[in-house]
Amino acid sequence: MTEQQTPAPIVEISGLTKRFPGVLALDRISIDFRPGEVHAVVGENGAGKSTLMNILAGDLQPNGGEIRIDGRQATIASPLASRAAGITVVYQELALCPTLTIADNIMMSDMAARSAVSLVPRDTMRREARAALSRLGMGKLDPDTRVGRLSVAEMQLVEIAGAIRQRARVLVLDEPNSALSKRESERLFDIVRQLRGEGVTVIYVSHHLKEVLDLANRITVMRDGRTIETLDNDGLSEDRLIRAMVGRDLDTAAQWSLQPDARSDGAPIVLSVDKLTAPSLDGLSFQARAGEILGIGGLPDSGKDILGEALFGLCGRSGHITIDGKELRAADPHASIRNGMALVPADRRGAGALLAMSVANNVVSASLPRFSLAGFMRRGAVRREARAQVARLDARISHLGQRLATLSGGNQQKIILGRSLVTNPRVLILHEPTRGVDIGAKAEIYAILRGIAGEGVAVVMISSEIPELIMNAERVLVLRNGRISGELTGAGINEEAILARAMAS
Amino acid sequence: MADAVRTGARAPATDRLTLARLLRAREAGVFIALLALCLFLSFATDGFLTSLNLLNVGRQISLLGIMAVGMTFVLIAGEVDLSVGSTYAFSGLATGMLIIAGWALLPAIGAGLATGVAIGLINGVLSTYGRLPSLIATLGMLSIVRGAALILTNGQPVTVNARNGALPEVLQSFGYMGQGYLFSIVPMQLVFFVIIAALAWVVLSFSNFGFRVYAVGGSAKAARVSGISVNSVKIWAFVLMGVLAAFAGILSMAFLPSGQAGRTGVGLELDVIAATIVGGASLSGGEGTILGTILGVLIIGVMRNGLVLMGVSPFVQELMIGLVIIIAVGIDKWSTRRTS
Repeated sequence: MTEQQTPAPIVEISGLTKRFPGVLALDRISIDFRPGEVHAVVGENGAGKSTLMNILAGDLQPNGGEIRIDGRQATIASPLASRAAGITVVYQELALCPTLTIADNIMMSDMAARSAVSLVPRDTMRREARAALSRLGMGKLDPDTRVGRLSVAEMQLVEIAGAIRQRARVLVLDEPNSALSKRESERLFDIVRQLRGEGVTVIYVSHHLKEVLDLANRITVMRDGRTIETLDNDGLSEDRLIRAMVGRDLDTAAQWSLQPDARSDGAPIVLSVDKLTAPSLDGLSFQARAGEILGIGGLPDSGKDILGEALFGLCGRSGHITIDGKELRAADPHASIRNGMALVPADRRGAGALLAMSVANNVVSASLPRFSLAGFMRRGAVRREARAQVARLDARISHLGQRLATLSGGNQQKIILGRSLVTNPRVLILHEPTRGVDIGAKAEIYAILRGIAGEGVAVVMISSEIPELIMNAERVLVLRNGRISGELTGAGINEEAILARAMAS
Repeated sequence: MADAVRTGARAPATDRLTLARLLRAREAGVFIALLALCLFLSFATDGFLTSLNLLNVGRQISLLGIMAVGMTFVLIAGEVDLSVGSTYAFSGLATGMLIIAGWALLPAIGAGLATGVAIGLINGVLSTYGRLPSLIATLGMLSIVRGAALILTNGQPVTVNARNGALPEVLQSFGYMGQGYLFSIVPMQLVFFVIIAALAWVVLSFSNFGFRVYAVGGSAKAARVSGISVNSVKIWAFVLMGVLAAFAGILSMAFLPSGQAGRTGVGLELDVIAATIVGGASLSGGEGTILGTILGVLIIGVMRNGLVLMGVSPFVQELMIGLVIIIAVGIDKWSTRRTS
């Protein structure tokens, strides 16, 4: 590539805005992608990267701003329009047919373009698919293999092969190697470089700064829905990127002025975890004391997202977990509750709440034996307990029989929290405690959590939102690759320190 | 078929082990079960392994088979059609009444098939653009079409004969469709089934439309992103199902030659779905083959025939059929879980 002349951009975005109810996900961002470059987009969770990629994929429509493709103004109205413009997005969750073969999947767009009343040219499909695979060095894969039998890595490569075959001019890889082994990642990087050499624009979204610095020609940093800067990758350092991602204005935490002081020094240890090993957790050991809010941070693939389930016994695990000196032997949620552990999961809709049931039933649903007599619900006791929790948590509901689904995110979360409290936990584990909760309710939930800790409960807060950890936790453990990569306390808890331990390699 | 399996110069090793490949095919289990059943019946009864009995089995399964072919498309596309028993009754009765009214053969059959198209179209549109789950949409249509048949016939039986007004030459051809024999030996119903199954096999396995059906059922998202119109593929599958159910109903009317809106084809949809699923089609879509469906239909047909020959009571027959469904599908699921 010649350095003197910058080629005209393929995709040029200016002033793009995307609003969700209550959130400004993209705030007048501007960014351009040039042919034959690897353009990395980095930023913390919630910076707006995924929203931008979804707009490029045609899955979301912006509220304002302009997208130009080849210099002409364009709207990407649908996933199909995105593909037609030469853009292919390889998602973490893949758009493949598991029941069809590799060849079928790679050639699906070609098939869609032909008449429905024509024969399937199997031999041609196989030949072309094999050609597409060998371009990626995957010639050994049998194109007749069903995609459902492949590893996630192989599926990803099949999707990329399909994209190349459609002459994609812009290939978006969204956290492409979170499921790949080291060797497979290397292979993917080679392919990315090869595609760049062929003039393809690769947009590379990743948390792994080292890889980004290895691969990218230019790097755009996003923060709070804005594009902060686009840097030429020329003598950049990880520190430089982290500083840009964090920004100068660290006043969010200051504004709350809630930096907790160490309250629980010398308090008895409630939760003790020794060599906890589970899928993507590699021998974690830590303790939490009575009255402590222990923060757990890390990137999405650090293992932090499985920690809550592993502690609670929702997935297979090995290692020793004790509560007040009593060991939880089997991975069994019932035993966990009985021994004083409570979990507020991240996925409120999927795992946490009985959305179709009433507020009262949700409050007692984790402690049914206490509220039933000879197999019947003790309705009076249920209502009393529910009323008490609603009052304590200040949840805004119209009546106790209201269906949970009709509450706002914040009030739903309070009810789920109430359900955990009814079990009288010694250890309260919260995973993304304020996801989908508006800012006012957030502050209330934080206050409630501090109150709970004040009663001598050990609170473990697992969160992707760094400000949340800074505000609430008196100690933060940062995970990376399934291990603890750093422990921060007191004034040592700040955004740069957490990010550096989460990302640096 | 051989051409389709052969690949380029550097064919992978698996292609050469044709026997092993055959055994791994999804139909193999059903085929072996059918073979075992036939072997058992050949020894256990005198009457099973005679050409007359086998052709008789062939006739008995034909109507079920024709409908199961349609159901294969619908299930692969990731949908289900519960209204086929009602369509079977409605279309057959409609054609019968038109013949009695003095219509010529082809217009009467054409009108009967058109009702099948219309019902399929409604099922398809409700399940796609109407955003109803097909289980619900076709459950509703099951009742609506059955009710329409009752209204149409006023609940009275319809019998196609000269006394009721059918033209003699029409009556003769219509009767031949349902009761006749090709070369005086192969039942016409079986001839129709074989032709329809062969055409469906070509469409599903070798045509672009068949590919789309698999793609839509395997992953609607992947199909949509590739530019396949998911809704129109599904609607076409329902229309095909409707036409085949109508045709089976018309053949039944030609065979008997009578029907009654309150009784004809009641509960038939469950037999059709059962046969298709025994043949390896998946209720979650994306999987199934015509060959498998034929084997599934045969298993159920042979089973019924064998139980009759062995003098087993009809009550026990029902029970045995239920067991076959659970065991056949169970073997498939348990074995696939182990391999994955």
